[in-house]
Amino acid sequence: MPFLWILIALIIIASVAFVLGRQRAVQSAGGDSRKLHSLPGFYGWNTAIGAMVPSIVILAVWMIAQPIIVNMSIAPMITSVEASDSATLGLVLSNVTNVSEGLDAAIAAGAITDNEVAALNAETDNIKGLLSQVGKVVGSDITPEILDAARASRDMNATGTLFKTIVVLAAAIAGGAFALTKIRPDLWARNQVETFVRYVLITAASIAILTTIGIVLSLIFNTVKFFGMYSATDFFFGLSWLPRFQGESDLGILPLMWGTVYISIIALLVAVPIGLFAAIYLSEYASKGVRAVAKPALEVLAGIPTIVYGLFALLTVGPLLKSAFGDGGVLGVQWMGSADAAMTAGLVMGIMLIPFVSSLSDDIINAVPQAMRDGSYGLGATKSETIKQVVLPAALPGIVGAVLLAASRAIGETMIVVLGAGAAAQLSLNPFDAMTTVTTRIVAQLTGDTDFASATALVAFALGMTLFVVTLGLNILALYIVRKYREQYE
Amino acid sequence: MKDIKFSARNVQVYYGTTHAIKDVNVDIADKTVTAFIGPSGCGKSTFLRSLNRMNDTIDICRVEGDILLDGEDIYDKRVDPVQLRAKVGMVFQKPNPFPKSIYDNIAYGPRIHGLAKNKTDLDEIVESSLKRAALWNEVKDRLDAPGTGLSGGQQQRLCIARAVATQPEVLLMDEPCSALDPIATAQVEELIDELRSNFSVVIVTHSMQQAARVSQKTAFFHLGNLVEYGETGQIFTNPVDPRTESYISGRIG
Repeated sequence: MPFLWILIALIIIASVAFVLGRQRAVQSAGGDSRKLHSLPGFYGWNTAIGAMVPSIVILAVWMIAQPIIVNMSIAPMITSVEASDSATLGLVLSNVTNVSEGLDAAIAAGAITDNEVAALNAETDNIKGLLSQVGKVVGSDITPEILDAARASRDMNATGTLFKTIVVLAAAIAGGAFALTKIRPDLWARNQVETFVRYVLITAASIAILTTIGIVLSLIFNTVKFFGMYSATDFFFGLSWLPRFQGESDLGILPLMWGTVYISIIALLVAVPIGLFAAIYLSEYASKGVRAVAKPALEVLAGIPTIVYGLFALLTVGPLLKSAFGDGGVLGVQWMGSADAAMTAGLVMGIMLIPFVSSLSDDIINAVPQAMRDGSYGLGATKSETIKQVVLPAALPGIVGAVLLAASRAIGETMIVVLGAGAAAQLSLNPFDAMTTVTTRIVAQLTGDTDFASATALVAFALGMTLFVVTLGLNILALYIVRKYREQYE
Repeated sequence: MKDIKFSARNVQVYYGTTHAIKDVNVDIADKTVTAFIGPSGCGKSTFLRSLNRMNDTIDICRVEGDILLDGEDIYDKRVDPVQLRAKVGMVFQKPNPFPKSIYDNIAYGPRIHGLAKNKTDLDEIVESSLKRAALWNEVKDRLDAPGTGLSGGQQQRLCIARAVATQPEVLLMDEPCSALDPIATAQVEELIDELRSNFSVVIVTHSMQQAARVSQKTAFFHLGNLVEYGETGQIFTNPVDPRTESYISGRIG
């Protein structure tokens, strides 16, 4: 039975269990539901959970285990490959899986019957053509060995699926029945259901956390692998970035860090004053009408995908800057060689960060209690004096936090830099020179045909790890500052 | 009768369409403590805030009628509300020290109004203001500590010192003791009595005992109307209006 049907059957069983559980609970109390510990519905839920949970757990485990077991048992059939060569064996086995799934699809589409599959001959029949008819493309040639293995795998899978269906449905019914026998008026059904809900919530929370841990672990393992091939001192203190896939690369992070920091600083120099002033205007001076229009309009900026900002940098800002600072430009200086420059990317990134800074600062300024402003007005201070001397100092820690969060976004930004800053990793002080950042180099090292066993590819993980540590540090610092500030008023 | 400081004629205050203050006429004397009493929502705080145009900071609020300070209309177009508030200081219900040091809290007003010629001058203003607020002995060794770190009663006295430092002519107090314990309240009340020698003090209070203790004149507000205004002793012992009598004897409120 296909997976979807099993699921539907489980839901039906659970619904029946719910109804039965509810009925039985009411019956057990002699028809008076007030004698029950919990509302009758909780007994119903309790029974339904009894039916669903064990069967779904079995189903999940089975679905993970079955392909592994099938692969393990057909692996000895592949005699053309040494068992010790696990990489090649894996490729062949995935071919086998492809062929067997293709045959299933062909049967389902009516292109071939079960008996014909048994009679297929790898030497004479065009199996590849047959499979491509039903949309399954197999890369390598289908040898008799692979076909045999595929047949065996089909048989095993069919048996496995049959048993899976039986076991899962049996578990559902047994679980429901067991839960049903437990029903007594003094059963704490409500508490049990609530405990179950709590576990569901815990599971949801752990998925997010476990994923993060998984990502960090994979970064760490690959970084360690990289440092096995390339010296950490050269990586952290090397002044040159010249990856060569043939080997003999210079993989110093400093030029990339320099570009990242330089571009981020330009971005912050744009975003922080503009964002902060916009926030002050919006929260302190703007009338309700202006605020109602201006705040969402400013936040639209935050909704623009960064690739669109990248296009803006590439097509508008870069050429514009070049026409001013470049060769033959209106200023008569030759600072800018090409439209790709740290300044281009920095300016555009700054524009991207304006809504980020302004909306966070706006919230923080609004959180300064009105009593502070009243106190200042009551002493005869003007609005401007009040903002400068009372509101902003009170909001300062929060604003610093907002700026740090903006900085960690600037450091992690990729697309704008790819399109705006060029790809040259150089340690230059001229903001009109092309520069590049850590993020864009990660992209460059991992796109195209990459050999994950070489230092030139693995350096991406070390770069990612460094970036992760830097932004994590900034975020923690920002959160710490914001939180410390919040304590003052609440 | 002492000199009249504030003189209000036919004052109406509206919040949007709500008529919060109806036709109030009152003369507030100089160097006197005047108490505004009345049940919650009767408009006493609103009227107090219209005396230094603090209501200007609320968009929907509108004031009609004449309020004269020393014979000049404070709602005249030529009057800068900021200058007015320097003359008519205010202390709020909840202590609201700025998140600055104690010294900077007091120096705030003198600095923005340029009252001190130099640092020594400013030091003197800070010291004398804190002394007048009976806070000097408690904080003289930690003027650099943040004002928010003081206890509630100390914070409120700090706010009074801050208002005094600006050298106002009138001090408006909006329920200054409602967030304080009885000991701190007693200290603030004592302070109010001393301030009377230099300023005209107007205090809004929910506590009738407090009004009786600290004020010389009392005004009773009810539903936006000024019901009765007179000598404190007379209001509490021999009220003219039956509503006043009901309120002070606890039957309405």
